Amino acid sequence: MHHIMLDQFAAGKTAVHRLDPAGKTVATLAVILGTVLVGRDHFLPLVPLAVALAAYHAAGRTPLPYTLKRLLVVSPFALAVVVLFPILEPGRPVWTFGLGPWTVNVTEEGLVRAGHLAAKFLLSAWATLLLLATTRFQDVLQGLARLRVPRAFVVQLAFLYRYLWILMDEVMRMRQARAARDGGLGPWRVRFQSGVGVLGVLFLRTYDRAERIYWAMAARGFDGRLHAPIQSRMQGKDWLFVAGAVALGCAAVGLDRALYG
Amino acid sequence: MAEPVLELVDVRYRYPTGPEALRGLTLSVAPGERVGLVGPNGAGKSTLLLALAGFVPAEGLIRVAGHTLTRGTARDVRRHLGLVFQDADDQLFMPRVIDDIAFGPVTMGLALEEVQVRVHEALHAVDLEGYETRAPYHLSVGEKRRAALATVLAMRPQILALDEPSANLDPRGRRRLIQLLAGLSSTLLVVGHDLDLILEVCQRTVVIDAGRVAADGPSAEILGNRELLESHGLELPLGLAARM
Ligand SMILES: Nc1ncnc2c1ncn2[C@@H]1O[C@H](COP(=O)(O)OP(=O)(O)O)[C@@H](O)[C@H]1O
Ligand SMILES: [Mg+2]
Repeated sequence: MHHIMLDQFAAGKTAVHRLDPAGKTVATLAVILGTVLVGRDHFLPLVPLAVALAAYHAAGRTPLPYTLKRLLVVSPFALAVVVLFPILEPGRPVWTFGLGPWTVNVTEEGLVRAGHLAAKFLLSAWATLLLLATTRFQDVLQGLARLRVPRAFVVQLAFLYRYLWILMDEVMRMRQARAARDGGLGPWRVRFQSGVGVLGVLFLRTYDRAERIYWAMAARGFDGRLHAPIQSRMQGKDWLFVAGAVALGCAAVGLDRALYG
Repeated sequence: MAEPVLELVDVRYRYPTGPEALRGLTLSVAPGERVGLVGPNGAGKSTLLLALAGFVPAEGLIRVAGHTLTRGTARDVRRHLGLVFQDADDQLFMPRVIDDIAFGPVTMGLALEEVQVRVHEALHAVDLEGYETRAPYHLSVGEKRRAALATVLAMRPQILALDEPSANLDPRGRRRLIQLLAGLSSTLLVVGHDLDLILEVCQRTVVIDAGRVAADGPSAEILGNRELLESHGLELPLGLAARM
């Protein structure tokens, strides 16, 4: 089966791959925090963050299609915002059109707001993707555990990650099984109805499988603790990296205050 | 005779949403014995393995490697019982083969060097050297099964319990598995429909039907008894049928 793999390139050997996972996690959070704290409708302070991410992207030799594909996967949410804001935000209309009984105003303010939110969302998603592209997922988990993130939360994340695969597997198996029988055709109404049925079964199957996997873990002594076979250590370069990221986040916020008061 | 390594007395279990899967099953296995568990679909064989590890709360007495199974001792029991599930996708849950095989030894609290020794030993036993960094969910069925077996071998359990280990294997993979199982020194429980494999690997065979032991004896005797097998929905193994 073929999935879009989240950490497909995480086993690389570049300098950024070799940075400490806990440090990289903190750095990612710093960049995301900086992004979020930039004032509404302000674009300029986001530029240094984007440049820094592009540099990290290049340093990790992350293939561009990899990032673009995954950004697309997480984008539907951003897309909803981007489509809705221009017509929901009151302001100076730049384009008006009729939609059945309604008149829709696309406003300039709405467009700016939508663009700004989309930019912030994409930057945050990009930062997260880059972390995952240059750090194996279990290292991220260990990093979080070392940052004293509560164990329950880290374990939940680990399970979530595994269950995502299970869910995708089940979806794929069931779609294949169904397509093998209906040839992928049939009237839309029937396909929709069977789609709803499939969702219910999907939930139950995933639940069953998740339980069996939990058993497989328990059979091998799992009691909710993550053990770290390989310990990594923060070194000078890691501290430097974290300091750089924090400085970058602060710079974005500072630039925001300086430019827009 | 030595103290049994596995003892079940009048074990019963009913699924909350379904049938009574185990209906008073009694069985005793001596250390080092290799036992085949055969029977029709739905006989309760898989449920029996789950009950041994304490995953389904069965009634009756279950003793594994000297520990009487209760809620409090399930962890100790699982330490001595290596369970390989019917579906290898259930068994493999880590991002890389090597992490999956290390999972058991690491949770047992072994030192890093010892973990590495165990992992390499297990990979070697199942002939998966070079697969360390592969993703388990991207392996072929046969490779997945061998990886699943390795995850348990690395824990060096006293008892190894395998649920339909040869299902979906090609002839070569099956032959390889038979050699592997025949070379193990631990106590072995093999659930399966592959009677030829059981005939080759296990000296003793237990027929399970409707949640109970229906017959128990030397494999050659049980698996050579056409009437007995047919009355439990089974057929003579090809290896014996050919000789008749
Ligand atoms: N999760 C479950 N929920 C309800 N009933 C189950 C479940 N798993 C198995 N059963 C039922 O329990 C009986 C024994 O099943 P199982 O132990 O899987 O048999 P076997 O492995 O011998 O084929 C069957 O009747 C089966 O339908
Ligand atoms: Mg079964």
